[in-house]
Amino acid sequence: MATTPKYLWEDRFAKIAILFSFVLLALGSLFGLVQALARMPGALKALGLEGVITPNLYYMGLTLHGVANAVLFTAFFIMGLAVFVVTRDLGINLHGPLLCLACLLAVGGTLVAAVPILLGQATVLYTFYPPMSANVMFYLGLAVVVVASWIFAAVVLYGIYKWRRQNPGKEVPLGVWGVFTTIMIWLFATPPLAYEVLLLLVPMSLAGAPVDVLEARLWFWYFGHPLVYFWLLPAVTLWYVLLPRALGVEIFSKTMAKVAFILYLIFSTPVGLHHQYVDPGVHPVFKYLHAALTYLVAVPSFLTAFNIIATLERAGRARGGKGLFGWITALPWFKDPVFTGLAISIIVFGTGGFSGVINASFQVNYVVHNTMWIPGHFHTTVGTGVALSFLTASLLLIPLLFGRQILSIKAVKVAFVLWFIGILIFSVGGYISGLAGEPRRTYAPPYLNGVQLTGVYLLDLMKSAASVAMGGALMFWTGGAILLATLFFSTLFGKRVAFSGEVKLSPEPGPATRLDNLKLWIVIGLVLIVIAYSLPAVEVYSQGLSPAPPQPP
Amino acid sequence: MTVHKEEKIWAFFVLGMVVVFLGALAYAAWGLGLNTPYTVQQIPAEKTLEVFKPSVDCINPNVKRVENNIVICEDGRYYVNIVGMRFRWLPSNIVLTNPKEVKFRITATDVIHGFQIAGTNVNVMVFPGYIAEITWKIPPNLPAGKYLIVCNEYCGAGHQDMYTVMEIRK
Repeated sequence: MATTPKYLWEDRFAKIAILFSFVLLALGSLFGLVQALARMPGALKALGLEGVITPNLYYMGLTLHGVANAVLFTAFFIMGLAVFVVTRDLGINLHGPLLCLACLLAVGGTLVAAVPILLGQATVLYTFYPPMSANVMFYLGLAVVVVASWIFAAVVLYGIYKWRRQNPGKEVPLGVWGVFTTIMIWLFATPPLAYEVLLLLVPMSLAGAPVDVLEARLWFWYFGHPLVYFWLLPAVTLWYVLLPRALGVEIFSKTMAKVAFILYLIFSTPVGLHHQYVDPGVHPVFKYLHAALTYLVAVPSFLTAFNIIATLERAGRARGGKGLFGWITALPWFKDPVFTGLAISIIVFGTGGFSGVINASFQVNYVVHNTMWIPGHFHTTVGTGVALSFLTASLLLIPLLFGRQILSIKAVKVAFVLWFIGILIFSVGGYISGLAGEPRRTYAPPYLNGVQLTGVYLLDLMKSAASVAMGGALMFWTGGAILLATLFFSTLFGKRVAFSGEVKLSPEPGPATRLDNLKLWIVIGLVLIVIAYSLPAVEVYSQGLSPAPPQPP
Repeated sequence: MTVHKEEKIWAFFVLGMVVVFLGALAYAAWGLGLNTPYTVQQIPAEKTLEVFKPSVDCINPNVKRVENNIVICEDGRYYVNIVGMRFRWLPSNIVLTNPKEVKFRITATDVIHGFQIAGTNVNVMVFPGYIAEITWKIPPNLPAGKYLIVCNEYCGAGHQDMYTVMEIRK
């Protein structure tokens, strides 16, 4: 048995969470293929699939794609990874029965929400903006998942708190810094979402109560931006902790890594208005405040880039790389799949970070909002930076937790190449077709399929870029499918392998520094949130609400 | 807790970029008047078409002319009232002659839509219960011709069909 008897409950939780996350990713990504085919101009007609891939199926699949991939795959994997990191870094046990409860509620809530989605009764996409109204079980199922996440958060935070009490004067290990900030960001982010879902959307769905759409969006996007840092920080933790270990070096700067985590913690939530730049009804000054804070939340990503690249340089030079760029080629590209997967994730995430800064840029956002630029952007950040880092980490988690070897490293390497080239083509193609005005979240648009509109501004560019982008999407999809299948079947059929001894993740903690004052950062984070959100909230509520009646999806 | 010198230089460089870019954005918004949408009027969503009629009109009624059912404003300053509903934009046949400035007032009768003139920076969320107003200052070198207007916020199974073509004549 691979699971250490010492961590029986914790490892069971982690294994269930990780396996379930793979199933969710597979289900959600299946519809990614549907989307790529529908959005490649002329493809549905050429393949004779117009009758099979109907708009209803497409939008149902798009809802599932967003919910399963963006919200649930990530949440389950993160919970599993967090438990693994915290137990190994701190050598502590967590509250088993509560972890069990969290697990049951999370899985149960997911299954409850999945039913209306699959039955086409919740085709509202993962943002579920009112007044489009879904079956109430959709909202309640997701609410149960959020409650489960709170129980999980309490269990892990209590474990960290107990360890700190027993180890005064010791710094928090770097991996635990990552877990702590991830969970705190989630706890900052979710209360207004709970308000929106339970007090606005459930009454709308059950009793037909009208909902003010601006109010609903304000609280959804309060949650929606820190959500992406909830996704990103575990990947950043892997980059700071797993990557140096895989390369046999130390992280260039533990201090700046902690600074980055602190900046992410305090700046990830008070920025949600940047998803609402083109919403009427919110004052531009408040939007600008959020733009400024968004630029500040980009700073820790720039610091991370420096820290990681400096670490890679160290590793390359330790392997004999000389000169200005010799360290790059000296790194174990394709010889070490863990390094390769994480490096690809980091590079692609970097490109997405730049497009993200454009999204953040206040009125520049006009030219990209709700266009294909946006999916181009987020498939590089969460779709690759986060997802590929998680799947790469699974190359180690599967032997460590499940006691199984990976079935084929060769398949993994092929997957990496297809994914890397595919996502670059998909994202750049999406950026261009988006700038030409191609909308996102749209089934095969008639003006790109069949309806000939001549002489329309930039339409030809839109069509060519969309075709190229979807070619890239198919490649990226194939790589992902190969990688996920290899990982999933390895957990079931991989050759058994056993480990003895401790797993070392983070560098050994030294004495506590001024940065390890976790309570201070929580307080500063809360103060910024109150300032950044009380202003637009007062405006929205004082101008009076204008509720709109519910509509079917 | 040492911070390497190169890291300090990098951090200052990044903060410098932040200041410069935020300054540029503020200048564009308040110095050049290129700001984010703000203005709203609230109306009851169920009564939208009773109180708000889709139309093309002139900001200055003295310079208005109508030829073949098309409204022409001699000074190039137009009001366009738009209503979005599943799954079309009204009016669906907008023709603007020598436009210099267009004030769009836009609302929806049912769900959230997104109004965008593809390839331009006219891009605004359309809410039931709210009339949004934005002002488009037409770039002088924008070519005459046909422009695709799309809905870019998911609004239901016919979302992809919610488009129309606008014409700019010069």
